[in-house]
Amino acid sequence: MPIYDQTYRRYEARGPLRALRFWPITREALRLVLVRRWFLALLAAAWLPFVVQVIRIYIVTRFPEANRILPVDGRLFGELLSWQAAFTMFVAIFGGAGLVANDLRTGAILVYLSRPLTRRDYVFGKLGVLMALNLAVTLGPALALYAAALALAPETFWKWSLAWIGPAIVAQSVAISLVMGLVVLAVSALSRSARVAGLGFFGLLIGLDVARGILYAFYRRPETALLSLWANLRSLGVALFGLSERALTVHWPYPAAVLAAVCVGCVLVLRSRVRAVEIVR
Amino acid sequence: MAEMGEGTLVEFRDLTVSYGPVPALAGVSGAFPAGPTGLLGPNGAGKTTLLKTLLGFLRPDGGQLTAFGLDPGRQPLDVRRRIGYMPEVDCHLPGMTAAAFVAFAGELSGLPRDEAISRAHEVLYYVGLGEARYRTVDTYSTGMKQRVKLAQALVHDPDLLLLDEPTNGLDPEGRDEMLGLIRDVSTRRGMSLILCSHLLRDVEHVCERVIVLNQGKVAAAGPIAELTGPRRSVYDVRLKGDAAALLTDLKDQGCDWREAEDGYRVFLSDGLGPELIFRAAQECGVQVRFLRPGAESLEDVFLRALGHDTGTVGTAGKGTSIETETRTVSSERSVARNDRALGD
Repeated sequence: MPIYDQTYRRYEARGPLRALRFWPITREALRLVLVRRWFLALLAAAWLPFVVQVIRIYIVTRFPEANRILPVDGRLFGELLSWQAAFTMFVAIFGGAGLVANDLRTGAILVYLSRPLTRRDYVFGKLGVLMALNLAVTLGPALALYAAALALAPETFWKWSLAWIGPAIVAQSVAISLVMGLVVLAVSALSRSARVAGLGFFGLLIGLDVARGILYAFYRRPETALLSLWANLRSLGVALFGLSERALTVHWPYPAAVLAAVCVGCVLVLRSRVRAVEIVR
Repeated sequence: MAEMGEGTLVEFRDLTVSYGPVPALAGVSGAFPAGPTGLLGPNGAGKTTLLKTLLGFLRPDGGQLTAFGLDPGRQPLDVRRRIGYMPEVDCHLPGMTAAAFVAFAGELSGLPRDEAISRAHEVLYYVGLGEARYRTVDTYSTGMKQRVKLAQALVHDPDLLLLDEPTNGLDPEGRDEMLGLIRDVSTRRGMSLILCSHLLRDVEHVCERVIVLNQGKVAAAGPIAELTGPRRSVYDVRLKGDAAALLTDLKDQGCDWREAEDGYRVFLSDGLGPELIFRAAQECGVQVRFLRPGAESLEDVFLRALGHDTGTVGTAGKGTSIETETRTVSSERSVARNDRALGD
């Protein structure tokens, strides 16, 4: 039987477009990322710092004198999120570097943009993937640790004076996830190769942090933190959780402004690169 | 904008679209009625630009374009929802099976998930990929990728299908099957389509009407049957002897000619009859072994619309084809810079 003799059914039941048009993009991209076993292993490994900190709280509750060596207070969560920021880098590289680059390479961008979707929907869809993954390695472990701390050491953490910990965890996690997500998407949009985008993102993050370290070694001024994306995020953490890191102690509006500027820059890059019509200059 | 004519899906009037300083469409007017319409033209003629303007990717510099009575620049989502687009370039999502890819495309077009999955399977069977639908698209041959592209354009049952060079890269058998599918979509399923190609045979095979674009302008438009057909001034001749002398003589008398499959096709000037050919042959000592009134083909219409002197085509040697002509125009126009592209 010729192929065209087979059935083709007309579809007459068009309803209104769904409100969250970006959701299928996020869902499918997440599915494609999460079918990789080693990526799941990476997500699981991101909970190791949580396990270490829970053990720390447990030890302090059993042996109160250990509190002098391993102090357990609000700073615990800031330290955890500093560790988790490193995991978001790997999540962004292995889960996010190809999100736009692959679509540009394979022409799939046309599949998206020839549909009833705006470019904003497309970017939200892709950013949703990174937010979900990044929050899974920042907000998830940090809130779980907070819950564990309340359960294991209620006399230490169940206080009105420490009620800021929850909102601070949410704020720092969202800041890390959003900045890392936007930066990796922008870098991904600048390349047609996921590998190149991943290396570029890694180079950008590490390169700027190395430059900051060198400048700090020379001048011993905490303002050098403003040069590095990572240091800016950690500076926010220092301000939110009262950590004592001299090299990163900058008045918080400055790193916040730098991070906001980076986000705006990333949006501009995405705006110019995510197009159905290729721009040749 | 005036009301669109009955049965007209897309109408454009004085449409101008530029890539920076280079005009891709220069004040074109026309319409795509319901049914299959071919959009012909050499590479760089403005075909894809017209399709991309129709999809709302590009904003016109001047003039108006409406699709289904809507302005794609202002209501791109409403327009795109009713259009299925099969791009010229390869497009797939790495790592996805054909079934997942087509279902995903359906969801992006607004279908509920269950319906999108169900239709994806149906459409993949329809395009002949039923057995291979659980393979990842990355592993497909060129022909299979073309079919997946058609399936993703069909999955939401659009009112209008835009096919940009759908037979690119296909072998003759695959090309015939693809054209058969497209014809079936149009004739038996009643879907309107715009077939954008520089391959005349594809358009002749599928379409009833044609719009020929050249250098950003409409060079010819209308039903193929009206544009082609027998014409008194066209003759197919076979000659024995010094044909070049005869053809030069005819050219001097204002006639055109081009090499045909088995001889020459001569286009006589108005008011001249076949006796001119016999008289010139006698003077040049050439035998006319065969002469009959010729039916103008779409290729003739195309060449005429492009403003090519058929005589010069003939001098290029046997085998000169549309593809050869289009390459020349393409190389001139492919330097066009896309400085402007529309954001949503």
